[in-house]
Amino acid sequence: MIAWQDLLVMVLKIALIFGGLINVGALMTLAERKFSAWMQYRIGPNRVGPWGLLQPLADGVKFIFKESLMPDGANKALFRFAPVIAALPAFMTIAVIPFSNDIVIAGKNYGKLAIADLDIGVLFLLAIGGLSVYGVILGGWASNSKFSLMGGLRASAQMISYELTLILTILAVIALSGTLNLAEISDGQATIGTWNIWSQPLGFMLFVIAMFAETNRHPFDFAECEAELVAGFHTEYSAMKFALFFLGEYSAMTVISCLATVLFLGGPSVPFWVDAPWYVGFGAFIAKTSMFLFLFIWVRWTLPRFRFDQLMGLGWKVMLPLALFNLFVTGVFVSLGWNLWAKLGSLI
Amino acid sequence: MVKITVNGQQIEADPKKPLIHACHTHDVDVPMYCYHPGLSPVGSCRICQVEVKQGEAPGRVMVACRTYPAEGMVVDTESPKAHETRRECLEFLLKNHPLDCPICDKAGECDLQDFTYAEGQAAGRTHEPRRPLEKRKSLGDTIVLDEERCILCSRCVRFFEEIPKQAQLTVSDLGSRSVISTFMDKPLKGKYQGNIADLCPVGALTLTKFRFQARVWNLTKMASTCGECSRGCSTTVEVLRGSDVKRIRPRENLDVNGWWICDIGRFAFSHINAPNRLEGSLVREVPGLSIARNEDALCAVRDMMMRHKEVLFLVSPWLTVEEGQKLLDYSKRFGSKPIFVSPEHNSEKDTVLHTGDPCPNRRGLTELGIEGLPQKAAIERMQKSKCIVLLGERIVELIGASAVEALPHATSVAVFDCHALDLPQVQACVGIANSAERTGTWVNIDGVKGPIAAVKPTPRNVRALERHLDDLVKLSPSTESMGARAR
Amino acid sequence: MVIVKRKELSFAEQLYIPEILRGLSITFRKMFEPKVTRQYPEEALIKTDVTRGQPRLVVNEDNSIACVSCGLCEAACPAYAITIDGGETEREIEREPKRFDIDMLRCILCGFCEEACPKDAIYMSDELELADYSREALIYDMDKLKRPKKALQDRIDYVNRINDRWQTPSST
Repeated sequence: MIAWQDLLVMVLKIALIFGGLINVGALMTLAERKFSAWMQYRIGPNRVGPWGLLQPLADGVKFIFKESLMPDGANKALFRFAPVIAALPAFMTIAVIPFSNDIVIAGKNYGKLAIADLDIGVLFLLAIGGLSVYGVILGGWASNSKFSLMGGLRASAQMISYELTLILTILAVIALSGTLNLAEISDGQATIGTWNIWSQPLGFMLFVIAMFAETNRHPFDFAECEAELVAGFHTEYSAMKFALFFLGEYSAMTVISCLATVLFLGGPSVPFWVDAPWYVGFGAFIAKTSMFLFLFIWVRWTLPRFRFDQLMGLGWKVMLPLALFNLFVTGVFVSLGWNLWAKLGSLI
Repeated sequence: MVKITVNGQQIEADPKKPLIHACHTHDVDVPMYCYHPGLSPVGSCRICQVEVKQGEAPGRVMVACRTYPAEGMVVDTESPKAHETRRECLEFLLKNHPLDCPICDKAGECDLQDFTYAEGQAAGRTHEPRRPLEKRKSLGDTIVLDEERCILCSRCVRFFEEIPKQAQLTVSDLGSRSVISTFMDKPLKGKYQGNIADLCPVGALTLTKFRFQARVWNLTKMASTCGECSRGCSTTVEVLRGSDVKRIRPRENLDVNGWWICDIGRFAFSHINAPNRLEGSLVREVPGLSIARNEDALCAVRDMMMRHKEVLFLVSPWLTVEEGQKLLDYSKRFGSKPIFVSPEHNSEKDTVLHTGDPCPNRRGLTELGIEGLPQKAAIERMQKSKCIVLLGERIVELIGASAVEALPHATSVAVFDCHALDLPQVQACVGIANSAERTGTWVNIDGVKGPIAAVKPTPRNVRALERHLDDLVKLSPSTESMGARAR
Repeated sequence: MVIVKRKELSFAEQLYIPEILRGLSITFRKMFEPKVTRQYPEEALIKTDVTRGQPRLVVNEDNSIACVSCGLCEAACPAYAITIDGGETEREIEREPKRFDIDMLRCILCGFCEEACPKDAIYMSDELELADYSREALIYDMDKLKRPKKALQDRIDYVNRINDRWQTPSST
């Protein structure tokens, strides 16, 4: 029997996390435009609200009132369903991310700021997260357009290639921490010295690269690829269906940034302040995640797009061997009990 | 015939016609202002000077319109000497010509402009002010004279002397004050006044009805035939931006009209431009005539004819040969023969062009087997018929709306005309193209075929009578099944 | 035929990572540099002598239109934007436009009309704003096109200056 207070706390957490995710997705569209503008000596949106802060709202209203087009010969059911599949995994996977340490208010412990404390959190996240590619593939296929189809095909090939690297780097982290529970992984990095980034520098680098590819972001945005494929898989999409793809992309970015924070940057741990209160930890988490999100935007407006064969070459010939090597070395260290980094960390 | 050499080319020339005529018939361009093939040459403008060598004598510059070809003559129209002489003449002609091309109606088809451009002398060398003269001198209702622009070629003077043989204009006063004027400043009269505006090589004589109406390069021009009398003068119909016919000009046709046309034909575009055209079709429904699709109207006409079986086809004399043939074929199904309404000869008959017979295609229709019936007889025939189909532009105008109104109410009438006729007898009205909107042939009184051209688009939903007749044939059951129904 | 060899990449360049970081540092620095965006409706456009705005008709000091509807601008217009119907007037010049329409949606602001005009009656003004709710409203008639000569004086002076320059033989 769950007490109603517990239920209330749960509902509040869900509302906070979901609401937060959706708003971050919206704000990211603004941030994207603002940062890109600044990097190009421009001002960016500044008409709607102070500093253009209400721009996402205006965009949302616009998307709702736009005409929703569907090409002749499109697979109607799948065409409608694809944006949902694209957006849904991001919303589901956010459930297992632990955003803070135990929330203590007035001496009462309300648990971590997370919707679900799953023992196989990493597995769940990877399993569900891997589904998001179906949205892209189905959207591309159902549109009955050659550009969309090409975009969908590329997305699927790319996702499969880079998912391997991603999982292998996560495996190394799991091997170090010895658990699949994300909350426990982040608990294991309470001090800055124990952050996995120190023990897994190569793994971290590979993870960041693979994470760009997983979210179809520049320089790996072959699913969209404006130069060749018009807009790739969402060429034929308009109105809220298009907005849903957009939201899905930014939510996926947010989730994977959270994951990176948890896996490599110690989640809510605050550097040099071990006993920091939960809200400071939460703030630290947000700051670390924001850093990754900024990195996404920053890289997009800096690097040119790869060629598709270069992308596949990089994925299979460089990233995968490196990830395997990283896992092998980590495995050797762990099995021999040479936990050098943990010792170093304890010194700090 | 004599053999001469023009610009190195051996040609045969008629010694009775001026040298310029021989040049023009052999595509050698010699400028001309005062010379006109239809008028006697005077050599007053001096612009047609060419270098002529005869025998051993050195070449001399002579006016080509007053020199007649002689055996062995060697003519060079492009020699430096000829060019220089012509340029000097031109400079004199332009000495007092006002530079008002921007407001001049002739601009764009002006011989003076064209040749000045060809000679390339852009600036004048005179410093004195140009001679001021009257710019808006009315010469009657048809013509306005701009004395400043006139280069005194005297074409207009000779035209009245030679063609209608009624001298009305003259060159009066002396020297640079010479102007064209009528005797005692009386207004011009006669019905060939309009021709002098075409004749004028500059913009001195303009038509009141065309003055400032359009720039000539904006006009779409098509060869057509005048429909005001059975002479069938060849014309050029000129339309501004596909809407209004702005002017009708004679087209050179030595078999019919030469270079001239009477003012009745020249200004006969008021009914072509007439407003309130019937756009589409009207069909009788319970309260009155209502707008219908062309097909529905044709079906109504067909049903009307099938119901009565005996049909009187009354057509207008403006019907083309092609339309007449189609109608003749169609009317055979009802065992009747169309009749065209032939109005009485009017008093316009003269010795120059006008025949006084207002039916442009009388001969064509008669040759087809369609007979003409005077207006009164036609109306009598109508009163005897139960079912009447009126076809062709201006047919209602010809027999008169009152004649239709006087018919018994039981009579069924169908009208194919440019304008609607809203009378209780009328079962259907179908809009048709007028003679500026369709193609076809009229045969004039001497048997010369004259084409009529579609120079402007028809209004919306309006088609030529020929197309309607084609559709009627398609919509009507074949002759055999009609016979079966009759049995 | 020229064969251009690709630049040999050094080891550091082949690694990409240092080069990427270099690129990132550049874009990061650019974020704090001055912006070049002009806030259009609030900040006016910079107009110079050569600015060619929409064509406008000159109205003389005595309130009469300078145009005589000769139709040369209509003929010169490459976009077929101009439609003129002329007519007679009691003034000394005899002819004036009864209808002078410029379809501003067609107008490409090329200035050929200005160049063609023999009566100095049409000039490219400095007016550039062009927005309305219907296509019909953007077909400007004479009332919308008329401007007093004073309002166009800058452009008239400029055109006269340029024409003088053309007519003067070059000093070489």
